[in-house]
Amino acid sequence: MNLASFGREAGRAAAALVIALIVAYVVVLATSQDPGAAFTTLLTAPLSSNRTLGLWVDDIAKLTLTGLAFSLIFQARQFSMGVQGQVYVGGLFAALVAMSPIGATPIAIPLSMLAAMAAGAAYGFIPGYAKARFGASEIVSSLMLNYIAIRVVNYLVRAHLAPPGTGQLMTEPFPPTAVFPAIIPGTRFDLGIVIALVCVVIVWFVLYRTSWGLKLRLVGHNPKFAEYSGIRASAIMVSAMTVSGAIGGLLGAVFVQGRAFGKLSIDFDGNLAFEGILIAIVARSRPLAVPFVALFYGYLRQGAQLMGIRTDVPTEMISVVQAVIILLVASSFTVPGRKALARLLRRDEAPAGATAGVAQK
Amino acid sequence: MAALLEAIAIRKTYPGGTLANDGVDLSVQSGKVHAVVGENGAGKSTLMKILFGIEKPDAGELRLEGNAIAFANPREAIDAGIGMVFQHFSLVPSFTVYENVVLGSEPKSGIRFDREKAIAEVRALSERFRLNVDPLTPVEQLPVGQQQRVEILKALYRNARILILDEPTAVLAPQEVAELFVAVRSLVEQGRTVIFIAHKLPEVLEISDRITVMRGGRTVGEVETKSVTEQSLATMMVGREVSLRVERGQTAGALACEIKALKLVGDNGATIAEDLNLRVHSGEIVGLVGVEGNGQAELLEAVAGLRPVAEGAIYLDGADMLPLSVLERRGKGLSNIPEDRIAQGLATGSSVAENLVATRLDDARFVRRGLLDLKAIRENAVSLIERFSIRVGGPNSAVGTLSGGNMQKVVVARELSEEPKLLLVNQPTRGVDLGATQFIWKSITDARDAGAAVLLSSADLGELLALADRLVVFYRGRIVAAFVNSEALNAETLGTYMLGLETQEADTMRSALR
Repeated sequence: MNLASFGREAGRAAAALVIALIVAYVVVLATSQDPGAAFTTLLTAPLSSNRTLGLWVDDIAKLTLTGLAFSLIFQARQFSMGVQGQVYVGGLFAALVAMSPIGATPIAIPLSMLAAMAAGAAYGFIPGYAKARFGASEIVSSLMLNYIAIRVVNYLVRAHLAPPGTGQLMTEPFPPTAVFPAIIPGTRFDLGIVIALVCVVIVWFVLYRTSWGLKLRLVGHNPKFAEYSGIRASAIMVSAMTVSGAIGGLLGAVFVQGRAFGKLSIDFDGNLAFEGILIAIVARSRPLAVPFVALFYGYLRQGAQLMGIRTDVPTEMISVVQAVIILLVASSFTVPGRKALARLLRRDEAPAGATAGVAQK
Repeated sequence: MAALLEAIAIRKTYPGGTLANDGVDLSVQSGKVHAVVGENGAGKSTLMKILFGIEKPDAGELRLEGNAIAFANPREAIDAGIGMVFQHFSLVPSFTVYENVVLGSEPKSGIRFDREKAIAEVRALSERFRLNVDPLTPVEQLPVGQQQRVEILKALYRNARILILDEPTAVLAPQEVAELFVAVRSLVEQGRTVIFIAHKLPEVLEISDRITVMRGGRTVGEVETKSVTEQSLATMMVGREVSLRVERGQTAGALACEIKALKLVGDNGATIAEDLNLRVHSGEIVGLVGVEGNGQAELLEAVAGLRPVAEGAIYLDGADMLPLSVLERRGKGLSNIPEDRIAQGLATGSSVAENLVATRLDDARFVRRGLLDLKAIRENAVSLIERFSIRVGGPNSAVGTLSGGNMQKVVVARELSEEPKLLLVNQPTRGVDLGATQFIWKSITDARDAGAAVLLSSADLGELLALADRLVVFYRGRIVAAFVNSEALNAETLGTYMLGLETQEADTMRSALR
């Protein structure tokens, strides 16, 4: 990708963001007594303290990981939605290691991460295998597996893993050796972001520098061509979903072992796992673009959440604002969306039309 | 006689700077078939889009019956009596023919859709113009040729006086072309005007009255069809002398590939082909003749390892190929130029360099310990781009940005870069312009001269007669005739066997099967 097209895409995302913010402002105006303050909170709150900065960084790490997991399977043109389920099984297995005797030893963190990745990989393998072997739609099977994972983990936490008799919906905190060290003490700025950035480099390397990655991308571009070339498309597809599952499982470990939790609780992902779809779409499934998208998106996400906590904007409206942002940013990356945006902004019309023409061929 | 439709000094620059039309003139007489020919990229499609209101010219003028006109959109062009049939149809597959035809301008009685009237009108139109389509059949059950005639009906139903057919024969089998021409002649007999875009010259010479030749976005001439030959037209189109003759192979070498009693069965259990016996020698091209769907394409797939074999055997250099995977067969010296480059032969979203190594990802030159050698991949692409003169921005350009001819050159470059022992070729020049056709033919004969055994299938009998040393005819999944190619052999003879009208004596066939 050259610099000009990068600039164009960044500009498009920014323009969509501005429109989204205008819509958000209207929503705030209609529902808040003090819209100015509420809107300022949305735009600046993540920067207001070390603690909120930590929240932002934590979101970037997690959004990057889920974005990577989705990017990998989107590049193989698969539509598995299973990251959420992988996060839950990954979180469960990381917690099991952390709460076992190993949890008190120095190998607790690497071992629980490995356990989480293995569990996630296995969970990602299932819909892939079902598709390759029986032709089951990976969309349906992965969504169902999500429900199973969430409910089973919630049940285990409530009935077996929480301290008996307390009625708590979470486990005891893990031993300190099993919780990610904070990079800035007292915040959520922890090992998670490092793990996420290392993953970005690894996924990029694997996709663009290994023969497996090239095969995966060729399968994604044209499975018939891959078969014709002697690439075993179904094996690549299953392995892509398995590797993506490992990243999903790792995200589970980052969730439960991060400073945000340090324990396993029910419903811990707050639906963040699914937002990886948006990240991957806006990043065009390119691993190196994922953290940048996560950076901007994470900021708005935190801003909206802090606006929900600190101002009188009703929590329902927070979801509306978030959905509007997602809608506009995501649709600005479709062909008709690009054209409409270009027309609306009365700029860049010719290049936008030209790229649309190429895309339609 | 005044022209019915005129385009004068049309100029069109696309955003991004491509000058697609620059001083294009076109003058179409009423009641004639006017052909517009030119290589891919000559600007034919742009001109047609301007005539049909899809694109607006930057300069120049359109005149209909002498009056200046400007179409803002296709709707206005349709209202002015212009209809267009694109290469890619826009039909609703599950709807019947008449529903597709009237869609958008349905006859009404009150607010109710008047089905009876619609059916009657469509049937009348179909009969009047000898289009021979049953209005009640769902479109998805029709062969491509009939679907195309449904598109023509759509235009006629909207009272098109001028009908633009954009490369109508590209998707058709020879018989369907003949049927299309019957309809086209019937249209002009009844006063309609047809603009016929094409680059297959024999067809143009057969059907048209006048021909406008375009090259590089300009009109280079307008001629009476009677006054030109295929050769002179080709020279006008390409701008230099074109040789469409190829050298016959000298002598066939040793036996390379042997196919024995091969039987192929489809997914639904129906027999696709059986009792196929064929020997291909090093240094010869064997042409597979037949109407599409008689087993030629399936035979090539089976040899390539892309289709299971029910019975029989395939040997290459004496070794049994059936247990081998696609990659292992390629390792033994098999190359394969598939029928549809976009659907099967390329990943259009990937770069040229990646497409050029996709079949060799087990080769230590490009992949070591699972890691790509990007430098070697790039060098491979640079050298093949040069050797096969592929017109492309660079090795990292996406294949999808290339023209059809250059895409096909990418496929040919990949498959012929390694001196194959057995080369499978299916429809090598479909939708490819004259210059690229010439180049691809040369590449295939060069491979043959370097010792490749070639199995060539093509819907274009001219291509088979030009290239093949021997020809075998497929009919209903069996080989029904075999010929050694000679000046005496012609398309008509082959045609009678292709349609199963004649059968060959077993002895005659055996002698040509070698």
